[in-house]
Amino acid sequence: MLRTIKPKNARSKRVLRSRESKVEENGKTAIFVRGSQTSQIVNDALKDLYLLKKPDAVNFTKKNQIHPFEDDSSLEFFSQKNDASLLVVGTHSKKRPHNLVFARMFDHQIMDMMELGIESATAMSQTKGSKCAVGMKPLMVFNGELFDTNENYKNLKNLFTDFFHGQSIDAINLTGLEHVITVTAAPLEGKNAGLIYFRVYTIQLKKSGAKTPRIELENMGPSLDFKMRRIQLPKAELWKVATKVPKELKPKKVKNVEKDEMGDVFGRIHLGDQNLEKIQTRKMKGLKKRGTEDDEDESEPSKKAKVDEDEE
Amino acid sequence: MDVSSALEAHQNKFKSIQVEKLVPVEFDLNLLAAFDSNAIDAQKLSSKKEEYLKGLNRDNAQLLFNEIFKLPVESTDAGLLAKLPSQTYILPREKPLPKEKPMTRWEKFAKTKGIQKHKKERMVFDEATGKYTPTWGYAGGKKDTTKDWLLEVPSNVDPMEDQYAKKREEKKERVDKNKKRQKRNEEEASATNKGMDPRQVKKKQLQEAIAVTKQSTASYGRFDKKIEGEQKMKGMKRQFAPNITDGKVEKQATLDILNKVVGKNGEVLNVTKAVRQHKKARK
Repeated sequence: MLRTIKPKNARSKRVLRSRESKVEENGKTAIFVRGSQTSQIVNDALKDLYLLKKPDAVNFTKKNQIHPFEDDSSLEFFSQKNDASLLVVGTHSKKRPHNLVFARMFDHQIMDMMELGIESATAMSQTKGSKCAVGMKPLMVFNGELFDTNENYKNLKNLFTDFFHGQSIDAINLTGLEHVITVTAAPLEGKNAGLIYFRVYTIQLKKSGAKTPRIELENMGPSLDFKMRRIQLPKAELWKVATKVPKELKPKKVKNVEKDEMGDVFGRIHLGDQNLEKIQTRKMKGLKKRGTEDDEDESEPSKKAKVDEDEE
Repeated sequence: MDVSSALEAHQNKFKSIQVEKLVPVEFDLNLLAAFDSNAIDAQKLSSKKEEYLKGLNRDNAQLLFNEIFKLPVESTDAGLLAKLPSQTYILPREKPLPKEKPMTRWEKFAKTKGIQKHKKERMVFDEATGKYTPTWGYAGGKKDTTKDWLLEVPSNVDPMEDQYAKKREEKKERVDKNKKRQKRNEEEASATNKGMDPRQVKKKQLQEAIAVTKQSTASYGRFDKKIEGEQKMKGMKRQFAPNITDGKVEKQATLDILNKVVGKNGEVLNVTKAVRQHKKARK
């Protein structure tokens, strides 16, 4: 545990306040850590992922004695110290060559971890072609039915979406869509069984004759082929707490308005009791209401006038 | 005039933006994400990997673009902004939901009395100088009366009394009182945050303090003044050495005491400790 710091000046107070839990959260910060041994492939992958995640990212270049699946205390320390909830640890060993561990934290405790081995890689620097600007919001594409059916792949989809989407926003500049991060899961049988293809492309807009442009992709790098290794899925209770939506952000319930499956909106209106005394029915002489004598005196002149008009 | 053929000819000049999929692709436009659950062609993937991946990703990215361009657009100084719908794909939070802060004693009181906060003006008119001065911050706030060069001595007080010292003391008292209340509010808040009753916590602390004081008298508090509602302490008994013991043991015990007081091994005076205590006493 880190010692609790009592802020002594306004600046540190502001920093601590920004680290408090909030209704609308900041974008998640990722930190990139090297394990006790790393290969060039791992180093390049970490650097490229860091470039993609910038500016919400911290890159550590020194080696650390970290073994994520054996001991998570150092990861928690890293998370707390840097106020980061996404961690990538790169390691390289004989048993698990070119290893990346993606860990996600909730409240500075490990929620889930996915270990991905790099089968083949092309770094961003080795790829020719245009690169996207720093801090652009990426488009994301996930291909493969495994992302819908397999629990591990589902979690991977969630992890990668969480990792790259950045700060949540409510509007996007249409000219700011520069690159797309794609993840493709190969089927579990066959030659490339279970490989996961991570590709990043820049987007070029072409004329299409309509408002929406036709797009073409250009490889930007990094291109990584992953293989799943050890996996720690989030615990159900922790997941439930972590996905709780604050009351303030829940959409306000509108009474008596419903939507059906087709998306049509239905409204219900309550009219209240109808006053039968005042209802206008067909006018007949026999049904005319007779009030008291006083009433008749007051209403006589107008009635007479009406009759006169009718006669004319 | 039939323009449909002309339109078609115009369209044919460009590549199409339409993409056909067996299973419709799902989108979360707030995250700018597309989830395609169509089966992957394993054969093409192994034979022409990069080409196939690029084509597949282009198609899905095009579909995502088509969806984004359907969104309502607002034009601003920064360019065209597409308004994104709310997020549907569930992502976990980073930290738990913020807890509601427990009310301070003043806030509770103000609530029962219906006292409402109202914002102070940044600048207030100072009638003495005829100028607007800031309510707080630089050159603002109440003027410090302890720094006045002249102070009136009221007729009903001792004329020799130092009015400056009096003002200083009064101010210090006020500050200390507020600090004490602040501390109390913090303690109570931390207790309620842990789901405990602040009164019970305070009671427990007091009882622990009483137990310590009792242990620190020679008679274990037997002759101390009793406090109302005081609980009887359990398990505290004085210990007496037996009247008749081995002579050697008794001799050694006495020698130990003597040695501690005048002996060479025993430190008679711990200078640093003494200095520290003396300093503390002077404060």
